[in-house]
Amino acid sequence: MQLMGRLNHFRSIGRGISWFSTIVLLASVATVVADDYAPQVGSSHVAFTLPAIDDGRPVSLAQFRGKKVLLIQFASW
Amino acid sequence: MPVWHNKTKDWVAAGKLVVLGITQEQHPDRCRLFAQWQNFDWPILWDPINILESTAVPIIIAIDEHGIVRSTHPRPETLEAEFLNVAFLPDAVGEAITNSNNAAQQPTRPDIAALQQQAQQEKTAGAQLEFADAAILWGGTTEVTTAIDAYSNALIQAPDDGGALFRRGVAYRIRYDSERRQPDDFQKAVLSWEQALDKNPNQYIWRRRIQQYGPRLEKPYSFYDWVEQARKEIVARGETPVTLIVDPQGAELARPALAFAVAPEEVKSPDPAGRIQRDTDGLIVPEIILVPSRVRPGGSTRVHIALAPNSELRAHWNNESEPLVLWVECPDGWKVSQSRHVVAPLDGQPTSDETRRIDFEVQIPHDAKGSIQLQVFALYNVCEDKDGVCQYLRQDLLIPIQVNSEPQ
Repeated sequence: MQLMGRLNHFRSIGRGISWFSTIVLLASVATVVADDYAPQVGSSHVAFTLPAIDDGRPVSLAQFRGKKVLLIQFASW
Repeated sequence: MPVWHNKTKDWVAAGKLVVLGITQEQHPDRCRLFAQWQNFDWPILWDPINILESTAVPIIIAIDEHGIVRSTHPRPETLEAEFLNVAFLPDAVGEAITNSNNAAQQPTRPDIAALQQQAQQEKTAGAQLEFADAAILWGGTTEVTTAIDAYSNALIQAPDDGGALFRRGVAYRIRYDSERRQPDDFQKAVLSWEQALDKNPNQYIWRRRIQQYGPRLEKPYSFYDWVEQARKEIVARGETPVTLIVDPQGAELARPALAFAVAPEEVKSPDPAGRIQRDTDGLIVPEIILVPSRVRPGGSTRVHIALAPNSELRAHWNNESEPLVLWVECPDGWKVSQSRHVVAPLDGQPTSDETRRIDFEVQIPHDAKGSIQLQVFALYNVCEDKDGVCQYLRQDLLIPIQVNSEPQ
């Protein structure tokens, strides 16, 4: 893909080309402040229900209980 | 195909994994276009108000079948062995939830009316925020004004709540992009975001919302320059691209720059002596937004100008004559990215009434103080239906710029 040329750029990661290196890089950039999103390994993930972008239907993390979930927070920019 | 997307398709197809996306951006339709382009076939949720309070993207979390976080930095190479193939034991809370009647139930929308009533009765900041968040996420543009009011009510009680400030900015911008737009919505959005960032300068998501519309010197990248390529590739494979409510333009497409860029142009003012008749009736209504709203000495700001035909006067653009021209005067000591802007009329339409938008950047002098002004004027052909008159008119815009002299 033409986007492969942007592997070293934050935005190419956000476009789903390669998540790994950007996660490592962003982990060193982002500063977590009290009350900020900070999921802890071994703890329950915070519950949420949000609208789906295609039809606005409510989707919650809880509805996937019983399944393994890969949660990806991103933006198209 | 992206590495993760390829890997997850196999696991999802095998029933070993659910991929769930959350997009942290203002416009969900743009993310839909992106997902269509990239062939993402997993559910993506919209969190424009950053209700999860994430401070960065992307973030990838592996959550086991009991709702417990097992990795905050999963790797494609090891995910199967370290996560998918492991039968995790629940903790006490996870087991209780898994075994409860609430597990795996279909979620429902909140009762916005009930939350509004609760907010009116309790009048606490928390109740106001809960209602406002629900109105934004679930109420569509119908509820956006009541959401803005509720965020403002919450901020009266908790003026230092950066999250509420950010969310109010999101609400203002949602209303700006809708048929319910009110004057100054865009500028109010920017001001709210700036106030939020003052409370927490490390909030990357909040900062990005301002940078999306701001000057090139403060951009990490071009936010939406992928849209054109995406549309072409989607059409090439025989699909219809997702329609965007508001097309990105200007600042949202601009590439970052290390130095202030001035377009090479040898142009003269189109009306240096000011001889063109002025639009004294207000046939065209201007709106001016600055991002950022305050500029450091020597700093730059992106000036957004929207020009809309006055609907009360039934004004409309005359597309059969000279196009709209915007001229930006460049005072001594200033820099302007481009002085002359031409907006082409809509193809094939002799008249139209769309809002025409232009944005450009200015860099102010290093010794600037207080409030300084930028002179701009627009020349246009406009008609009105009241007397059926079409005229070539000029409108002068005096743009005040507040200099931010606070130490950084």
